[in-house]
Amino acid sequence: MGWFGLLTRDFLTLEDVSRGELKEVLDLARAYGAGAHAERPLADKTVCLAFFEASTRTAVSFELAARRAGADVISISEKGSAIEKGESLVDTVVTLDSLGADAIVVRHPAAGAARLAARHTGAAVINAGDGRGQHPTQALLDLYALSDRLGEFDELAGRKIAIVGDILHSRVARSVIPAFRAAGMELSLVAPDTLLPRESGAWGLPILPSVDDAIDWGADVLYTLRLQKERMTGARIPSVAEYARYYGVAERHLKSGVLVMHPGPVNRGVEISGGAVLSDSSLIPAQVASGVTVRQAVLALATGVAERMAA
Amino acid sequence: MTNARASVSDELVIRGAHLLDPASNLDSVSDVRLSAGRVTEVGKDLQGTRYLDADGLHLFPGFVDVHAHWRTPGREDEETIETGSAAAAAGGFTSVVMMPNTDPVVDKPVVVSGLVRRVENESRVRAYVSAALHEGLEGERLTEMRLLKEAGAFCVSDDGLGTQNAGVLRNAMLYAKSAHLPIILHCEDHTLATGVVHEGIAAALAGLPGSPGSAEDVATATALVLAAETGAKVHVTHVSTALSAALISFFKGRADVTADTTPHHLTLTDDLVSTLEGLYRVNPPLRPDEDRIGVGDALKSGILDFVATDHAPHAASEKDLPLEEAAPGFLGHETAFPALYTELVQSGKLSLSRLVEAMASAPGRWIGGGPYGISPGAPADLTLADLSDEWTVREDALVSRSSNSPYLGRKLATRIVGTMVGGELVHNGLGAKFGARA
Repeated sequence: MGWFGLLTRDFLTLEDVSRGELKEVLDLARAYGAGAHAERPLADKTVCLAFFEASTRTAVSFELAARRAGADVISISEKGSAIEKGESLVDTVVTLDSLGADAIVVRHPAAGAARLAARHTGAAVINAGDGRGQHPTQALLDLYALSDRLGEFDELAGRKIAIVGDILHSRVARSVIPAFRAAGMELSLVAPDTLLPRESGAWGLPILPSVDDAIDWGADVLYTLRLQKERMTGARIPSVAEYARYYGVAERHLKSGVLVMHPGPVNRGVEISGGAVLSDSSLIPAQVASGVTVRQAVLALATGVAERMAA
Repeated sequence: MTNARASVSDELVIRGAHLLDPASNLDSVSDVRLSAGRVTEVGKDLQGTRYLDADGLHLFPGFVDVHAHWRTPGREDEETIETGSAAAAAGGFTSVVMMPNTDPVVDKPVVVSGLVRRVENESRVRAYVSAALHEGLEGERLTEMRLLKEAGAFCVSDDGLGTQNAGVLRNAMLYAKSAHLPIILHCEDHTLATGVVHEGIAAALAGLPGSPGSAEDVATATALVLAAETGAKVHVTHVSTALSAALISFFKGRADVTADTTPHHLTLTDDLVSTLEGLYRVNPPLRPDEDRIGVGDALKSGILDFVATDHAPHAASEKDLPLEEAAPGFLGHETAFPALYTELVQSGKLSLSRLVEAMASAPGRWIGGGPYGISPGAPADLTLADLSDEWTVREDALVSRSSNSPYLGRKLATRIVGTMVGGELVHNGLGAKFGARA
């Protein structure tokens, strides 16, 4: 999870995350969820949200997390900012640094953007999604919601989770795969070859041909990914009907007791049926709800206030 | 599809034929006993309840044609499942793959299931449905390959048009691989294939617009590179140039690739276009002798795995035209073995054993995934030929609903006299001989 600075700590990628690091974030998030954030741990801290790409739930979730924890929040996005005028990522980060940012939350359409930003500022950089690269806080809130449902973090170990859908284009997949793995879960991938990276074998995970096969495999959790609209036009997927038939989660799958997750926003009737979204098996609302406390924990660890507050 | 009507106690023995089955290493006079649609025993002096005397005839595993256009649905005036399968049976074919460039194109599950049902009722031979690789064969959107497979499609193909966009072809290969469907590819680059015949001396002298060999070679190279990269199961059909055969040779072992060539590319050359007759237009076009020889060598060595006919019936109104305006395509089923035997085996260029392997064992293995031949337990799909029964190809001698054979008027040295599918005689050129001694 990035590296440890003296005072600040970046959250750029989960590629090499350890079980201990995950547990540290989730334990702190649980403390905030239980009311510790009322002590305003981020008071006197300035959190900048630099969103170079449209986002609703991630931006709102970070902003709420920072404000409720007492931080000053500066939010700049594409619309009505220097970003729209063509200011570069690096220049924006340098400007925010000069204004005294303690943490910069970056969302960008290109993989590696957060890492580049981190090289140009002393503030902690938190990756809020970069291209097809990483989306670390999504994976952390997923683990939070799932371990909550199962009882505790240790319950994750040994559970089977199938990641379903457009893995090729998904930054969420690139964060949840190492995170679920570090938590001790057993993983499989469910996707056609057109939606898998060519070297997907490098993950060393079984690749299953359908959600039905994932159920047969013994999945405890189906983690479905969003299929972008522009991918539904025949180039990689022949039709929504065929995609839904083999890669869509339907109510019939829930009989096995499997849990269903989705990072949102959901295409109902494509990757997941409306009934499955609303069922008791769905963790989707819990995932969204987990976002705020998990991001508070991340911001607190990033800005170096966590130890102070946890003490 | 025919089913064995005979009861288990009914045992037919085919007596005295010269058995030639490369898969089983059989090449001698033997009896074959059939029961309940299957071969039960191969040996000497076998007993049965019925006998078929086949002295002087050759018995082969049933021929397999992975490339046929039966024009159904849409052009039943040219061929139907009934007439196409009758023509196949008359040529000794017991299994055929139907190409999807019909009207409508076979790109929807409902079209596939409809064809599968019609085949069951109307076909004399085993017939497999190839669905389209992309919607409308337009080369843009992938077809619902997994649903097509569930509806009964055996493979997918872009036959007739090819796939002009390499990005689409790559995704189609990846998706077909996920769907576990083999792909039959028609390799033709439309930016190069702008003529109606091969761009060679004959075209130059006759004043016909030519398509160079590169039109095929460039597309073949693209397909092979992508097959190697994606790992898809790819079959390149109707290879007609020496260079394409060499490219395939390079990619054997680097890709899951097989290939076929046609009887006409093995026996005819572009000299025929000097007649300016529409009959001789075909795609890929007839090539010069160097290509015919190169393709023949590749078939002999196994670089080209087997023969497929590209049986392409056309109404007289589409062939009796100036060559430039004629529809491309030849009949293939009924003349395939006789023409290849006459031109290649009799002249010593190809062994009879390799020809039978190229028409039966190899394509049979491609379809079935395992050994294909005359052995106990195997379906009784068999072909009987009289290797010394000369005939002349004439319109009234052909079973197909169309008559656009490039061999019209030619004498061929051998004839198919009987074809069995699942133990049932679906083509009978034996007359009263059959069952005479019950």
